[in-house]
Amino acid sequence: MTNKPVKLPEAGQWPDKVAPWALLAGIVLSTLGFLMAFLYAGPVNGAAVDGVELIGGQMVANKLLLSQKIFYFHMPVALVSFCALAFACYYSVRFLATKNQRFDTCAKVCMEISLVFVICTMITGDLWERFEWGVWWTWEPRLTTYLILMLIVIAYFVLRNAIDEPERCGVYAAVIAIIAMVDVPICFMITRLIPSSVHPVVLREGGMSGDMGMTVAVCLAGLLLVGFALYRFRFRQVRLQERLQALKDEVEVLEERR
Amino acid sequence: MARKQSTGADRARAGQVALSVPSTFAQYKTLLAKDLQQEFRTKEMLTSMGIYALLVLIVYGAALGQTAQATDVLQLSGGLLWALIVFTSLLGLNRSFNHEKEQGCMEGILLVPMDRSVIFLAKATSNLLFLLVVEVIAVPLFWFFFLTTAQPGPGFMLMAVPLAVGTVGMAGIGTLLSTITVNTRGKDVMLAVLFVPLIFPLLYACASPTTAVVVGAEGYLDVFTQSMALAGGYDVIMLLVSWVLYDFVISA
Repeated sequence: MTNKPVKLPEAGQWPDKVAPWALLAGIVLSTLGFLMAFLYAGPVNGAAVDGVELIGGQMVANKLLLSQKIFYFHMPVALVSFCALAFACYYSVRFLATKNQRFDTCAKVCMEISLVFVICTMITGDLWERFEWGVWWTWEPRLTTYLILMLIVIAYFVLRNAIDEPERCGVYAAVIAIIAMVDVPICFMITRLIPSSVHPVVLREGGMSGDMGMTVAVCLAGLLLVGFALYRFRFRQVRLQERLQALKDEVEVLEERR
Repeated sequence: MARKQSTGADRARAGQVALSVPSTFAQYKTLLAKDLQQEFRTKEMLTSMGIYALLVLIVYGAALGQTAQATDVLQLSGGLLWALIVFTSLLGLNRSFNHEKEQGCMEGILLVPMDRSVIFLAKATSNLLFLLVVEVIAVPLFWFFFLTTAQPGPGFMLMAVPLAVGTVGMAGIGTLLSTITVNTRGKDVMLAVLFVPLIFPLLYACASPTTAVVVGAEGYLDVFTQSMALAGGYDVIMLLVSWVLYDFVISA
């Protein structure tokens, strides 16, 4: 074992100075993406319908779908949630390797961010589903694996609440975060493994046209920045709280000594 | 062996203590034998799991008594069987670490200088054996209660394969999770909250081939092989991850 000093993430370093600007840029880019989705990207033909079917109270053969616009948020939000989970896994591995509580804090905050984005993905996905497939929920592989992912992320927090000792809590939570990461590639690959599923695969269906790709890229960049900024804000808050608690404990010890 | 003993005797004469380290496999056998012996003496796990499985079957009786046609029962049977196995294994896994903790056995095991993953392998094997025994009883009972009038597909004996693969995965993941949850508040609920989502892909990949072989519709072997490949892959990944992470969990 080399005794190289571990560089710990701390509140008030350079990312905290960048974070407000990242949030601002993220908001501007996401708004721009929102406008582009409606004004710049062309409307897209919906999934082919056999004959004529009743969708959303209308008889539809093949129409230019307005509901498709949700895609420009659905996919980037889902990708950001995967990113946050990957970082949670990374920090969990660092925690298990170093047993330093700081990394546990990082992993927990990452998980919180990923929960926010996972829920956003579920909501946007559900809107799409209702209007495009005509149902609120279907047991389709991609949906099912993503639902499982959401349940694991929720279970992560339930588990953290059920343990009192911080050291043990950190280890167990880290293990669950790493196992949760196993579901991410499965969820990502499942539409390719089981091609019969209803969920569209963008790259399989000939990719996106230039205007669509551009809009998705703008939204993705904006939401990644928002995710990063949220992470830094939350991390700063949690970290400052921890430091305050440590100071309080120290003061208490000093007062007892007097 | 004789050479080893003589060197040990030499050392003893010289005032040293001879230590022979048992092989990893011997440690594994001892731990597994301990679990099995405890079970043979108390018969606690097997009776509770077996009776629980029987009770679930009786509850199914209320649900399946309403179906008019035997074919409906056939199509439901794979999923129902797996629901039975999941609930029964939850019960068994909850128990498996309880007496270790209550009687302080865990501390004793942790004092032994050995690779922690051996503990995982031994515990997972004993859980696997108990689950298999319960399945051997529960599956014929399921057939006896609900399927005697139905005509299962020609290859229905193949359902032993998904049952075995699924049970291996459940025992592996379940052993890791029950080690975690035995130290938490509200351990029974905690195990269910963690266990069900994590085995869900496996459950899905095992329920579909089970149903496919029982129904025996045309092309059922395609569904069977594809799902079994998925289930096997998930098993391997999850067992490896649990095996690697077990060291951290048990030492925490």
